[in-house]
Amino acid sequence: MTPSGDNANRTIDVHGLARVEGEGSLHVAIRDGVLERVELEIFEPPRFFEAFLVGRGHEEPPDITARICGICPVAYQMSACAAIEDACGVVVPEVIGKLRRLLYCGEWIQSHALHIYLLHAPDFFGCRDAVELAGLNPAAVERGLRIKKVGNHLMEAVGGRAIHPVNVRLGGFYRAPSREEITALIEPLKKAREESLETIQFVAGFDFPDIEPDYRFVALSHPDHYAIEAGRVVSSDGIDATPAEFAAISVEEHVARSSALHARLRGQDPYLTGPLARYALNQAKLPAAAREAAAAAGLGPVCRNPFKSVIVRAVELFFACDEALRLATEYEPFEPAAVPVPPRARIGAGATEAPRGMLLQRYELDADGTIRSARIMPPTSQNQLSIESDVRQVVESGLDLSDAELTARCELAVRNHDPCISCAAHFLDVSIDRS
Amino acid sequence: MTATVVVAGIGNDFRHDDGAGPAVARLVAASTRAVDIGPIGEPLDLLGRWEAASLAVLVDATRSGAPAGTVRLVDLAGSERAPSPSTHAIGLDRVVRLAQVLERAPDRVVVVGIEGEDFSDGTGLSPAVEDAIPRAARAIADLIAAET
Repeated sequence: MTPSGDNANRTIDVHGLARVEGEGSLHVAIRDGVLERVELEIFEPPRFFEAFLVGRGHEEPPDITARICGICPVAYQMSACAAIEDACGVVVPEVIGKLRRLLYCGEWIQSHALHIYLLHAPDFFGCRDAVELAGLNPAAVERGLRIKKVGNHLMEAVGGRAIHPVNVRLGGFYRAPSREEITALIEPLKKAREESLETIQFVAGFDFPDIEPDYRFVALSHPDHYAIEAGRVVSSDGIDATPAEFAAISVEEHVARSSALHARLRGQDPYLTGPLARYALNQAKLPAAAREAAAAAGLGPVCRNPFKSVIVRAVELFFACDEALRLATEYEPFEPAAVPVPPRARIGAGATEAPRGMLLQRYELDADGTIRSARIMPPTSQNQLSIESDVRQVVESGLDLSDAELTARCELAVRNHDPCISCAAHFLDVSIDRS
Repeated sequence: MTATVVVAGIGNDFRHDDGAGPAVARLVAASTRAVDIGPIGEPLDLLGRWEAASLAVLVDATRSGAPAGTVRLVDLAGSERAPSPSTHAIGLDRVVRLAQVLERAPDRVVVVGIEGEDFSDGTGLSPAVEDAIPRAARAIADLIAAET
């Protein structure tokens, strides 16, 4: 379809509904065949959590912040622990760090499997949702559900339950699982590892729109492994900082049209966190089997096509299964399950890699552990400007598409980065105004 | 052969009336042939637990403005509802549809709601909700009796 008098001037409004982590809507205005504006509005409840936390004790944030998100509670718990332990000058023993990483792998597995199969894949088949996809390709959806279930089992075994785990505490865990509880995960993890390889092949066959934005990538990086639960913050333009240093240079600004904060580096530059950033900055740290699977799926060492984030997510799903299998095989129960974290009057920051991007928290404590201030930077606010930029490119390269096709592609461009927003995008009312 | 029936109570015993669902599920499992498949962390957990059932009963506390203790039964089989706005997880209505498409759904899914009034921290049900527990259990027993 070519631009016509009818679609040379048009407005695409995608109105959103409330969600756990954000309320989003998308406005696209085209005038005289030229893109005039793209605005992604997100309203983020985590701001209220920052206020709730002031005056609470320093041991409370892991449980309180976990409630921000039903799909990545472990990310909130782990970042909270990292930030407060940093303030208190405590470094947990390696065994606790490994068990945290194992728990976090469970969250990556369940979150990535959910996003790939139930939220993202339907778009590539032109399906309205996962139910429609299940009718078209039941074997694929069943595979996704099986992999997700293994992630849930892992979170239950280590965290006590699959959603909002109760076994995490500042300094470690309330109880280290028994050897038998973890051994029982090994066979299911082997199966999930196999099926995640099939997942990579499955998504590599999708048809991808061809855009390659010039992202500024930001992710955690660790010298020994693909960073999840700890690391320094690095970027594709040379930043190498502690979480505390990064918190100082990533400036969140308030934008009048939205209650969401937009993060910019040094107050200027948009950046992207999440699978594309992690892969671009840490691909060499992936195990050889994951690198080979990525190469077989056509990925180079850097992938800038946001639509192909589904392939990168599948590679990370394979990696999380592989890593969980390694950690579960090596696991030995330990005592004590947690180390003391006595408070002190300091500021601390911690960052970990939530399934959809880096999550940073920063706390200022009184000498008795009372929280004086809290800052939470979820991936959503850090990615928002890059997502708008993606939508702009998608619109500019697709002006000849029909309203329905363009709207679908815009929604997919959002869904590429953030399951929270993308979930709701399935339920958006779309109104198109042809001026 | 007797048809299989499963029951799951949804809710938190430590949030007063939110524990109505688990309380009813325990009573039903103790007094009928229904098998308790709870606790359920999210609706997708039902897949893999209810396939063998001809009837699945999910019991949850409600907060609709009705008088506390009001018991309501909603039959989900064949119902096509508007998608839930909260989609961090896949909602129950979508899970029922997904299970049907994958041929993993019970023949019939009934949601039993018990209206609560106190969802604050703490154990124990408010008197009106306590009175509703045996009523809800009897209503479920009648459903089960009709399944044979």
